[in-house]
Amino acid sequence: MNDSNKPWQHPFRRIEDVEGIFDRHDYVADRPLSLTTKLAFDLEKPVLLEGEAGVGKTEVAKVLAAVLDTPLIRLQCYEGLDAAATLYEWNYARQILEIRLAEADAARRDSLEQTIFGEQFLFARPLLQAIRHPGPRPAVLLIDEVDRADEEFEAFLLEILSDFQVTVPELGTFEAAQRPVVILTSNRTRELNDALKRRCLYLWIDYPTPDKEREIILRRVPGIEARLADRVAEVMRGLRAVDFYKRPGVAEALDWARALLGLDLKDILPETLRETAGVVLKYREDINRLDRLDLEALLEGQAVEREPGA
Amino acid sequence: MALEPAASGASLTAHTLALCRAAREAGLAVTHARAIDVFRALDAIDWRRPDDYRLALRINLVSSREDEVLFDRVYRTYWGELEGACEGDYILARSEMIQGDLPAGRSNEAHREMLSETEAVGAEEVQRRANLALRWDDDAPPLEQLIGELARRLATRPSRRAKAARRGARVDLRRTVRRNVRHGLDLVELAYSKPKTRKTRIVLLSDVSGSMDAFNPFLLQLMLGLQQALKSSRTVVFSTRTTEITSLLRRRSVPETLRAVADKVRHWSGGTDIGAALAELNRGILREGSARATVLVVISDGYDNGEVARIREELAAAKRRIRTLVWINPMFGASTFTVRAAGMKAALPYVDHFLPAFNAKALHELVRGLKALR
Repeated sequence: MNDSNKPWQHPFRRIEDVEGIFDRHDYVADRPLSLTTKLAFDLEKPVLLEGEAGVGKTEVAKVLAAVLDTPLIRLQCYEGLDAAATLYEWNYARQILEIRLAEADAARRDSLEQTIFGEQFLFARPLLQAIRHPGPRPAVLLIDEVDRADEEFEAFLLEILSDFQVTVPELGTFEAAQRPVVILTSNRTRELNDALKRRCLYLWIDYPTPDKEREIILRRVPGIEARLADRVAEVMRGLRAVDFYKRPGVAEALDWARALLGLDLKDILPETLRETAGVVLKYREDINRLDRLDLEALLEGQAVEREPGA
Repeated sequence: MALEPAASGASLTAHTLALCRAAREAGLAVTHARAIDVFRALDAIDWRRPDDYRLALRINLVSSREDEVLFDRVYRTYWGELEGACEGDYILARSEMIQGDLPAGRSNEAHREMLSETEAVGAEEVQRRANLALRWDDDAPPLEQLIGELARRLATRPSRRAKAARRGARVDLRRTVRRNVRHGLDLVELAYSKPKTRKTRIVLLSDVSGSMDAFNPFLLQLMLGLQQALKSSRTVVFSTRTTEITSLLRRRSVPETLRAVADKVRHWSGGTDIGAALAELNRGILREGSARATVLVVISDGYDNGEVARIREELAAAKRRIRTLVWINPMFGASTFTVRAAGMKAALPYVDHFLPAFNAKALHELVRGLKALR
């Protein structure tokens, strides 16, 4: 594994390796995702994953960190996120304390300027943490829900993602010893900056097929019977075809499977769905909507149309 | 579809380049950097597997779900052509591509030819491309200042938090103490604070159905102006379909913007389905962000072909996702105006501010009226 030019080589020689390794970590990766993951390493490019909420975008990064056995550094984006919260900040309180102490101590006073701008007074925020990760295995940097951040932040991110270096004026420049693997996720509540998108490998993650969802449920909900997992996966497909405000994701399917298992139910009947609706649907309008749908047809796998005249 | 990329290296390169070119012609942003990465990717995979080959190209060349669909069509069309696929399929794929939500900037000759070609074949429902340039009034009085004012009124509101200010209503104790340390803590100078301004997000939902045609010059001016004055705002237009055009409005030149919008919005001057448009907002844009920080501005005359009950239902849902609903009705200014449109009637109970605006003068009134807003 260790040749002199490349101190670290990623474990994904073939696409099947990705599938296999993810599988061992109980993540069911399909071909497009496996291929994207492999190429992210080969091309050293960030991956932009888009998809509805709850289809397992964030999970990809978590599994990847587990696979590589390296830290997962997560940057959760929100409106108003700025460089101070993402790169670094000085620990002002500790600096002031140090200044006070130095007032009483001449030796300390002379070296004060060097001391208080030392690394022990620096709070490294996620982006700097990722850059300072020593390697040899790369850290996994998850930039979650990047569509929530402001557009100015995207421009800043673009700069970081192309150079992987940061200059702290008082300390000097940090450069990544081993570039982190970067996963960006977006729920697509707004379009991202074109330049940022062009830098990334792009993959839209859709709701899983019933087969894949069944597999996920079996993996993630220990003790569940194959038959019930089947039913949950099928009903989820039916539910997702309905025009709800928030269509249920994989996370909801797992919760629901766990709930049904906990209630010791063997099959899903219309009453079951009504009674446990709160696990799957998160808006009052959506739950009310169930009463107006033909649940028996839905449970039998037929498409239920929008009710007439509503 | 058994589409084996050709086996030899030379033709692999040729095909890949041709596919990149086809993708670029179809409107994808295929830069040189991206094309180079495609070749780097091919080194890393077994490109003999057709699916892997397609995926390796796709993840490098697209950046949205629509792009993915578009690319797959280009890909199929490309290999289909080589295999002499049935002509009908080819034309169908092309016409689908045209009808789909195309990326901006596709106003070249080839594109137009393609369009007229499909129309000649008689593909159903190829929608019209409105000539928006004709609806843009170059002589209209500039609205920048008014819109800037409007944006400020709509998009700011006082927060409960305070920020430092040279003059303000409140004394900022913490800063006062700090400032007076040098006077031995005798209070010589006072520091003040005033309420911070909180940013509000504006979502502009604009009716571009046929009944609004007469107001198009004003509408376009308003959309462009508002989007430029408030970068964080979002602009969505609807008739029977709903399209977000925020990114298109960021362009600098007006003619270019109008062309891009006309290219993307194929349903301009169509029918009206307000309910469906609101439903789409409720499931997308309005679900993100804080409800307290969102103002929804609807510009519509309220003449609607959809179900009135749906408008009511979706407005009720929307109201819980926004702070204020402003409805601008261009018909409101007419002296004979009464609320007759059924859609408008259904909407009124949910509307916080019902405003007239059909030209610059009315907008001026509107901005003045907004002082009383919220």
